[in-house]
Amino acid sequence: MNWFYLSSPSTFYRFAGWLTPWFFALAALLTAAGLYYGFIVAPTDAQQGEVYRVIFIHVPAAWMSMFLYFVMAAYAAASLTFNTRLAAMMARAVAPTGALFTFVALWTGAFWGRPTWGTYWAWDARMTSELVLLFLYFGFIALANAFDDPRRGDRAAALLALIGLVNLPIIYFSVHWWNTLHQGSTVKLTGTSMHVAMLTAMLLMVFAFWMYAIGAALTRVRSIILERERRTRWVRAL
Amino acid sequence: MNHGFYLWMSYGATALALAIEIAMLVAKRAKSRRLIEEERDLEAQD
Repeated sequence: MNWFYLSSPSTFYRFAGWLTPWFFALAALLTAAGLYYGFIVAPTDAQQGEVYRVIFIHVPAAWMSMFLYFVMAAYAAASLTFNTRLAAMMARAVAPTGALFTFVALWTGAFWGRPTWGTYWAWDARMTSELVLLFLYFGFIALANAFDDPRRGDRAAALLALIGLVNLPIIYFSVHWWNTLHQGSTVKLTGTSMHVAMLTAMLLMVFAFWMYAIGAALTRVRSIILERERRTRWVRAL
Repeated sequence: MNHGFYLWMSYGATALALAIEIAMLVAKRAKSRRLIEEERDLEAQD
């Protein structure tokens, strides 16, 4: 497959249009399976009771918030390095979904923290760096839309995205570097202490959010392509 | 301890946030379509 062929907005517009329904359908199926495992199959936690089931959306949302920022920064770097229009459009398309998952991670974390820690919020390193991530997403979106010339907005926002990358290792390692209220990682590459049904539910929701994020980003980039390319012959011929 | 409130607030807010994003995607799509129509109208006037 010639990947450069897909870097043309007109080709990618059609390709994304073909892929998008599949990603949304997969997201719906995986969400149904994840909720079934999370609420029916997974047992009640001995210490936390039912409220632990918040982790089935909190952890996937937190992982996606960081992963999407990395993807956005990678597109931003590609747009700055190769001056490709589509990479800049993809960075813009990923940002709102990344912000949404960051918000979901913070919100669900608060509603898990209240019954387990006794507080909705603490200024500990993990939570504060995740909040900084939300502000970085907001900053990226605001900066990208702050210029009349969208290409200038692309470049300014791309720089901010790259500078903000430094926050990702801070979020990830914060629970090791500082003494935080937030607990360390339960799921590691080397293994986990979680019950298999709990882990299955969580991983199903991770993949569901992943599929949703791709579907949402592809839908958004199609609209961005139409807006940017509306004076071209292929768009007017649609 | 009843944890229903915390579960509903978490899952409900997530569902609401996703619904809002989908509605915004539909609105953005409609806006981009409208811009294309305006462009076509301008071209027709020329």
